[in-house]
Amino acid sequence: MSDIPPASQDVVGDQPIALEDVVDRDALDDLCKSIHALFGIGVRVYASQGALLANVANELELCRYINEVPGSRAACGATVSAAKSVAPGDDGEVTHPCFTGLAYHIVSLVHEGRRVGRIVLGPYAPAGLREPPPSLAETDKRLDVVQASELAAKVPRVKQEALQRIAGHLKETLELIIFSSHKAWVTSKLHLYSVRESYRELQDKTTRLEQTLTRLKEVDRLKSNFLATMSHELRTPLTSIIGYSEMLAEGIAGELAPEQQEYVRTIHAKGEQLLRLIMGLLDLSKLESGTMSLRQAPAQIGPVLNEVITTLAPVARKKDVELAIDSDGVPCELAADAERLRQVFINLVDNAVKFTPKGGKVTVRARVTEGPALSGGGDDDDDSAGAVLLAPLLKQVEIRVSDTGIGIPAAERAKVFEAFYQVDSSSTREYGGTGLGLSIVKRIVDAHGGQVSVEGNEPNGTVFVVTLPSAQTRRAALPSRVPPALA
Amino acid sequence: MQLNFAAREVAIKLVYYGPALSGKTTNLKALHELTKADSRGRLMTLETKDDRTLFFDMLPLVFKAETEGGAMNLRVKVFTVPGQVVHASTRRLVLQGADAVAFIADSQVAETENNAASFLDLRTNLKELGRSMRDVPLVIQFNKRDLPGVRTDAELDELARRGKEPVFKASAVHGQGVMESFFGLLERAWRKLDAEHDLRSKLGIQPDEFLAKAASSLGYEGKARMLCDAHVGGARSGKAGA
Repeated sequence: MSDIPPASQDVVGDQPIALEDVVDRDALDDLCKSIHALFGIGVRVYASQGALLANVANELELCRYINEVPGSRAACGATVSAAKSVAPGDDGEVTHPCFTGLAYHIVSLVHEGRRVGRIVLGPYAPAGLREPPPSLAETDKRLDVVQASELAAKVPRVKQEALQRIAGHLKETLELIIFSSHKAWVTSKLHLYSVRESYRELQDKTTRLEQTLTRLKEVDRLKSNFLATMSHELRTPLTSIIGYSEMLAEGIAGELAPEQQEYVRTIHAKGEQLLRLIMGLLDLSKLESGTMSLRQAPAQIGPVLNEVITTLAPVARKKDVELAIDSDGVPCELAADAERLRQVFINLVDNAVKFTPKGGKVTVRARVTEGPALSGGGDDDDDSAGAVLLAPLLKQVEIRVSDTGIGIPAAERAKVFEAFYQVDSSSTREYGGTGLGLSIVKRIVDAHGGQVSVEGNEPNGTVFVVTLPSAQTRRAALPSRVPPALA
Repeated sequence: MQLNFAAREVAIKLVYYGPALSGKTTNLKALHELTKADSRGRLMTLETKDDRTLFFDMLPLVFKAETEGGAMNLRVKVFTVPGQVVHASTRRLVLQGADAVAFIADSQVAETENNAASFLDLRTNLKELGRSMRDVPLVIQFNKRDLPGVRTDAELDELARRGKEPVFKASAVHGQGVMESFFGLLERAWRKLDAEHDLRSKLGIQPDEFLAKAASSLGYEGKARMLCDAHVGGARSGKAGA
């Protein structure tokens, strides 16, 4: 069940609004000033609880005089507070008389059928007023009625209907402002609550996804364990098959007829092939489960590559493929398992030779470059900051194995590192292989903190690019660019 | 519902739900047009510039009714929800505390799936709010009867017979069926509230009397029964509390 905040009920419920909350006081003051400037009548706006929100009035001379006489001042105070609280009746409009003969006109402000405040106009002199009423003299004996009458005569006369028109107009304007302000209030509140609600939903989903991910990782681990165990179990009987077929082929159990010899050699060769596949699976599962231990030691890439070339030169010669190396002095110390690195490049170079037709060329090129944090990707400004400090730590070795073979379509390039993936997966495919080699390559390179990717080679062929961070870079443990979720 | 005994005030919340562009806002605008000015408040619409409802629309209807127990203030707030799928959380926010729901369906045959999807969305959202279709009075309006490519009356009648909710036919742009749907909804909301809160003894007003007063306040003197009954189907549920 959704835990929508109860406060959001107010927005879509039926809570009375408070005028103070929805109307900007300065704006209200400006509006009242303009009405006052136009008609010369004082304007006050009160909220329903009596708070004065706007007060624009020039004190009349009559009022000033009255306020000098104590008894009259008290009567004036009583009149003003009555105007503030008198019930405006069913029509929402009432005229409240002052003891001076002047009057106040009071109009209710209504929003969604509720009275939310009032406008008090005045004091003004009603059109018919000639003489102040006796009530004026009664307030204090000290009051000079003649002077008061003279001052009262100076107050401008306002016709009742004109006043009602002004009041009606002001009421309408103010109610519009209240409506608009309330609408804006509702909009912003609801927007806020909607965002919160969406956020909550997203959080729920994220939690569910995280749980699923944890479960999947566990399943994946079990799968790798299973693979490791099975590979081991498969290897044991296979060793016997290979061993005995080899002994048979060597004639230890007696001379074989040529045909028998051929069959036994086939059994032996296929047994070896199967063993390689199983070893590959074992490697993969070890790498996946993280149980393969890398013996990391100071290493240089040069000797590793030379050894790879020496190993594969006969294969290349047999296929009439030119195999070249360009790795003169790559002065960059790596922290790496040289044996595993050899496995990586045997795999890559062997592949390159395999997919390169007769007369083609395979080149292995190594050089020292600067790390990805300096050479691009991501926000430029961010990456170039502090280069002078970081550059020495970002050295890496880049090895490019390029061939002039059949190439890999751009769309397939990212997938070739997936286990068992073959670009040509048809049963009649031209080139053999288990589809494990590249995924092992990728995992070993990953384990070294490096990266491997595929590019096209112009005009045809493929380039595998392996980058390996320098030992110094790895020691400095610069923040990895690999998102944590994939780590 | 919010019931304020001291002020003898009852506030009812009605929600118009339905798929995008089925005419919920149009219904509210028509309702605004068709009711007496002194009983209706300003129509609050929160639309984007392409006429799609962004958050909701709201029309307050406020009127007084003299009852045996004295004068009573009745406040009905009619809301629409934004129909577009992306506004799911807003729909849920607007839906909370609804006393009754009018589902505005688009009569066009091509909209059948959208109607159903929106209805399921309504059900899901009510559930999220801890409520169920059973305890929220519902009427269904098939809008846009004036358009071509709509379900025929006969088809609707047949469908309505199979469902338990009353079905109103409307063409909100022309103001047809709008008041009928509204009164049908108000009646069901009130009967439900009356049954739950015993309003007839607390406020001294019978449901039929309430409806008659509401109708006359909104400018439909003596027409409450006729408007409420202008639907097809809805027989199976009977008239709760009547």
